[in-house]
Amino acid sequence: MIHRLLNVTLTEWKLFVTDPAAVLLLVVAGILYAFYYPTPYMNQTVTRIPAAIVDLDHSAKSRELTRMASATQQIELKSVYNDILEAEQAMAREEIFGFMVVPENMEKDMLSKKPVTLNIFTHGAYVMLHGSIGTAFSTCALTLGAVSKVKAIALSKKVPSAKAMAMRDPMPLSIQTMFNNTGSYSNYVVPSVLVVILQQSLVIGICIMGGARGHRRFRKDSRYSSVENEDMPYRYFGRALAYFLHYCCFILFYHFVIYNIFDFPRRGELLPMMVFAIVFLTSVINFGMCLSQVFLRRESSMQLFLNLSIPILFLANFSWPTYLMPKWMVWLSYILPSTFAVPAWLSIEQMGADIYDVAPKLYLLALQSVFYLILALILTHLRDKSSFKTGDM
Amino acid sequence: MLKGLLWTIKKIYFSHNIVLWMILTVLPVGVSVFMLEMFSSEIVQHVPIGILRQDDSQLSDKLEMALRSSPVLDVKMICLDLSECEHAVIRGDLQTFVVFPYDLERRALRLESPVIPVYSSGQNYLTNMFAMKELRAVVTDVGSKLFTSGFDDPVKTEIHSVGNIEGNYQGFLALGLVSAMFHLAGMLVAVYIASFPLRDQRVREFFKDVEGSWVTLAVASFVPMTIILWLEFMGCYAYTHRMLMPMSLEEFVIVSVAQLLMLLCCLGAGLTFVGVTGVMRIATGVTGVIAGPAFAFAGQTFPVMAMPFAVRCFAFVLPLTHVLYVQSVMLLGPVGLESAWHALKLMSEMALFWMGLGLFAIVHRWKYRLKRASQLPVVAEPKDAAPAVALDVPEVNKEVKA
Repeated sequence: MIHRLLNVTLTEWKLFVTDPAAVLLLVVAGILYAFYYPTPYMNQTVTRIPAAIVDLDHSAKSRELTRMASATQQIELKSVYNDILEAEQAMAREEIFGFMVVPENMEKDMLSKKPVTLNIFTHGAYVMLHGSIGTAFSTCALTLGAVSKVKAIALSKKVPSAKAMAMRDPMPLSIQTMFNNTGSYSNYVVPSVLVVILQQSLVIGICIMGGARGHRRFRKDSRYSSVENEDMPYRYFGRALAYFLHYCCFILFYHFVIYNIFDFPRRGELLPMMVFAIVFLTSVINFGMCLSQVFLRRESSMQLFLNLSIPILFLANFSWPTYLMPKWMVWLSYILPSTFAVPAWLSIEQMGADIYDVAPKLYLLALQSVFYLILALILTHLRDKSSFKTGDM
Repeated sequence: MLKGLLWTIKKIYFSHNIVLWMILTVLPVGVSVFMLEMFSSEIVQHVPIGILRQDDSQLSDKLEMALRSSPVLDVKMICLDLSECEHAVIRGDLQTFVVFPYDLERRALRLESPVIPVYSSGQNYLTNMFAMKELRAVVTDVGSKLFTSGFDDPVKTEIHSVGNIEGNYQGFLALGLVSAMFHLAGMLVAVYIASFPLRDQRVREFFKDVEGSWVTLAVASFVPMTIILWLEFMGCYAYTHRMLMPMSLEEFVIVSVAQLLMLLCCLGAGLTFVGVTGVMRIATGVTGVIAGPAFAFAGQTFPVMAMPFAVRCFAFVLPLTHVLYVQSVMLLGPVGLESAWHALKLMSEMALFWMGLGLFAIVHRWKYRLKRASQLPVVAEPKDAAPAVALDVPEVNKEVKA
């Protein structure tokens, strides 16, 4: 029995390492993407973003503000303009990505205790730069305001400056980042993307290898006809085992090589990692086996699924939280293994979750796996009887 | 000639090509609208947070009430100990949690500045950023009312996002994602249309239909797809843009031209892949490898200037980078015109290069296939011929091979 199963497994493995299109997806894509995706984010964080100040006040306070802004880590002060239009033009040329306007009479208004508002303008197309520039300029402006406020409190309440500072901010916050201490962009993006890469390449790869017996190219080759005429359960589980073992190697490769090279946190424990690998891969393989029965041409899956990679990534609670998505979209996302696998992988590998923490997500993945297994077996059984037919799908 | 052109267009586009119509219309438009719907709540709100109340005082009550009343935050859990909150963060139930330390009120009233620790997951960049800003604002506001309620802050700041006044996420990301979708679709459709005559061995048939003119065959194959994709792209862009500042005519014209040039570059690249590989499966795979992750390299999420030099070179070669640049500078209004014009000139040169290379490669590939096909004998098949043999009959397979 095991011999028959392993025979199919070995044959399937031999087939996909000799088919150029399958090699591209099942071998090259998994390795190439793992290096390709993290490369743009190798610097991890964005610092020294070009920015400017429009100084309409020309006072000691505005110069102090300029000095403070040029000392921040996030931005690099490129110019001090006298006119907003000049700054706008520089922003259009992308010489700067944001600027702060110091209004006329700022110092005078501050001394006469009139509230002053400083406007910060950032480029509307870049979310990351918007946050960094806004934070950097706000911190400088509020620090300047805080100094004035502390002086005012000290004078009016007749307390020493240390007490005045405590009165201004009696409960300071201390923000501790638990898992992505450096605020690295690659730590945030790449681990989620790696899971989606595994899923997409595996699903498309299985479809490329052909689903229905009539569409499997190696049936033309008499060498493999005995394997292909094997009983359906042997054929199904033998093929599935080939993909499972092959992709287990990828998970190990990501864990031991990619995570090391790109310095991602590697907190995964053995047990949750193993359980994750089993339920995730079986779920994706069964999902792929179902889909492979639908297509009449091997490349159609690739043409259709390549378009779906971005929404699939976003449906997995990546970047945009699930609770802000429309309900129908959340329900739709439950058909994809990545919806549960991405958060589970992040919990295990990035945050060091134990098996109990990720159990709810792994249960759902296991449930998905069983559902797709039953569906795939039924479809395989039905399609086994069909003759060779090509159409556009 | 015209009859041949129209006949070939009909044959290419209307001969039960489900996949072609899926990748040409349904998927690019569908996915673009889907992504817009995903961001329909526009801004981040209701970020789930937890509170660990070690201090049970009026000040803690005030802080909790203030946190509960914030639209950005959603107090999901009052934890009993640190471990409970920590595991909730690991499970993904909470984004962050705040600890009200022992004797918070007493120490604050004694001006000892008790620190309020905030533990954030840090794994989700966007929600983390919004949650931290809001937490800081809420706690500072409650704190400032404790001793200095009569003192206004002398300096206030207002952050404006130019071209995207409300900081709408659709504006930030969806415009770029729509362009990325069409960048991929342009290459995929070009690969499909250029390679399906090779796959189905129909080069000779199409060549005969266009009366032996390669130019007519190229026009029939690639002009309709370019026009269809361009119209869809413009429509999706306008639909996405409705959430931002109103679009001026200038902006619409310039962005549309940039989008057309991007599609031409993608078309040329797709043709080159088919010309070089000659097989639909492999050319599609190459397209996936190059255009699939293009959005990550194009600088909308992570700026190009912060990428390593080699990656910056790759980003420069991608047409998507330039169309995103044009879109972003046009968000700034008329001041962006000059910069957009420079980008358009560059994109025109890129489009010329890719189209030239692509057409050269594909026509050579088609010619080669035609030459090979002309060496084969023509077998006439009756219309009502039975479908191809079932391959699971080994005897028939042997006969066919023989």
